[in-house]
Amino acid sequence: MNETQITFGAATLLGAVGLWLMLPRGSHRGRWLGVLCALGSLGLFGYLAPRMYLAEESTAALAGELVFMLLAVVTIVSAAATISMRNPVYSAIWFAMSLLGTSGLFLYQGAQFLAVATIVVYAGAILVTFLFVLMLAQPKGHAYYDRLSWEALLSAGTGAVLVGVLTMAIDSSMKSDESRPKSAAAEQSTDQAPVVLAEQHVAHLGAQLFSKYLIAVEVVGTLLLVALVGAVAIVSGDRKPSDRPKGAGHA
Amino acid sequence: MPDLSTTTVVALIKVAVCIGLLMTAAAYFVLLERWMAAWIQMRRGPNRVGIPLSKIKLFGLGQPMADGIKFIFKEEYTPAHVDRPLFLLAPITVLTAALATFAVVPFGSVLGQVDGVEQRIELVVAPGIDVGMIYVFALGSIAVYGVILGGWASNNKYSFLGAMRSTAQLISYELPLGLGILGVVLATGSLRLEEIINAQADSGLWFAFTQPLGLLVFSVAAFAEAARLPFDLPECEQELIGGYHTEYSGIKLLLFLVAEFLHMIAASFLIVILFFGGWHLPFGLTGSGDEIGWGTAIVRIVALMVKITLMILFFMLVRWSWPRFRFDQLMSLAWKVMLPLGLVNLVAVAFVYEFEASPLLHVAIGWTVAIGGWIIAALATPQIADNTPRREAAT
Repeated sequence: MNETQITFGAATLLGAVGLWLMLPRGSHRGRWLGVLCALGSLGLFGYLAPRMYLAEESTAALAGELVFMLLAVVTIVSAAATISMRNPVYSAIWFAMSLLGTSGLFLYQGAQFLAVATIVVYAGAILVTFLFVLMLAQPKGHAYYDRLSWEALLSAGTGAVLVGVLTMAIDSSMKSDESRPKSAAAEQSTDQAPVVLAEQHVAHLGAQLFSKYLIAVEVVGTLLLVALVGAVAIVSGDRKPSDRPKGAGHA
Repeated sequence: MPDLSTTTVVALIKVAVCIGLLMTAAAYFVLLERWMAAWIQMRRGPNRVGIPLSKIKLFGLGQPMADGIKFIFKEEYTPAHVDRPLFLLAPITVLTAALATFAVVPFGSVLGQVDGVEQRIELVVAPGIDVGMIYVFALGSIAVYGVILGGWASNNKYSFLGAMRSTAQLISYELPLGLGILGVVLATGSLRLEEIINAQADSGLWFAFTQPLGLLVFSVAAFAEAARLPFDLPECEQELIGGYHTEYSGIKLLLFLVAEFLHMIAASFLIVILFFGGWHLPFGLTGSGDEIGWGTAIVRIVALMVKITLMILFFMLVRWSWPRFRFDQLMSLAWKVMLPLGLVNLVAVAFVYEFEASPLLHVAIGWTVAIGGWIIAALATPQIADNTPRREAAT
């Protein structure tokens, strides 16, 4: 056990305790302590992060790193807020914030299409539907058991351990990358990557989707079609033949 | 590659110019809209406010300033029953999304040679965003949050009904909006708005002529997305008082109203850029290519602005001449008419480009499909003209 591993362990433990205290458990006690713990854990992970970064020393690199850090913190804090809020509408809004952060991270890495697609699909379609249902379904507040998180301790622990292990794995793989000389193939791929990202980004993506991944696209399309047909069948399934189709204005 | 500081400075200048111009434009378009309303309703309209503390009236050009000052200094009343954080968040979200849209929208072509800058300065805040069109849609879907949160946080049944209706409307019309541009994207092979203008400038044939059906579908959807009459159900003064912003007052209400105008301006920009050639004018008036002098650059900017102003005037003309749709008519228009028409347009465009039709044939096919599709839609799903509720069969 070297110093780094101990720090990782401490960060994970602190994160687990913080998350558990923050989750809605039916009592308000220790919530702010939980926030403090979670922030401490985030700080520890952040302290470990610079050693994982191999950027060269320049103003541009520093600015880029700051942007990355900002986006990452926004994403993580919003995600924590999503699971610890007691009001489902607030949870949904924080989730949207987290999605915006994620999309910013994608954009920062040059994945333009993925970034906007995340917003269009998740924030624009799925989450708005969630909000719709939440607002329509619970006009008079929520039942007590709906406000509690189930198995708070177990889920907080599992989540924190997952994050810790993943971070450690990435850290160690980065270190081994540093010591190992780069292979020719790896160098070629890093040379090619910026070209693909900068020029005709969407065209490249489309060409890949419809040549290399054609079967996957077709299968997903079929799945979506099945879901759509299912939705229509559920809506109009048990309607008597004497019923006239109604206008769409009864939402 | 130009060095970072020059790029940053140029980008910051572009952002400042963009926001300044847009805010001023939104204020003066309000005045224009009121003049337009007065003209159509045979009134005089706002013509009094001129230079303060003098008798000079200036046709009422001081009105936007007075309106702005009124909104800012008015008592900003927040009702006790609202959900405060979300009540505050809603207008901010709407305005931010509306402003951020203009990051990828070109407001000209390129500038002439500027000393000290190697490359030509492109008149877009964020040049080279390859997903420009989808970015616009993404921000459009963020704007929905402002509406739904504003309605919910207000904790008022009218606001809530307005928010519900308008969310359904905005989400539904995103589909025809997307289908309307697919034909254009297919024809140009790019989602970048600059590329789309260049493609039309190169061929000299605006997409309005080759894809009239796409123009129709896109414009109707853009009207609905901008919540303008005949699709202004989000507000709907007569039924819902003010829809989702009933409870708002003062500067927060101003943010909502400005965002609404920005949506309309953005919609005009998109219609002009996608279907009316952007800065391009026929007969070689706007030159060709990117190596242009200052004169041509300014002509291009003016051409674009004039086209956009005309489009906005059209928006206003429609607002004061048509009644509002009923909600079920609105929905059936989106799902039963606009969606199929958009698909038909897409297939027709794909067909034309697959068989590489000549420009004349291209235009002929475009108009045949448009008129044919329109007749079939009118016969198959007639929009009910009278406003009596449809009778449901006894169950």
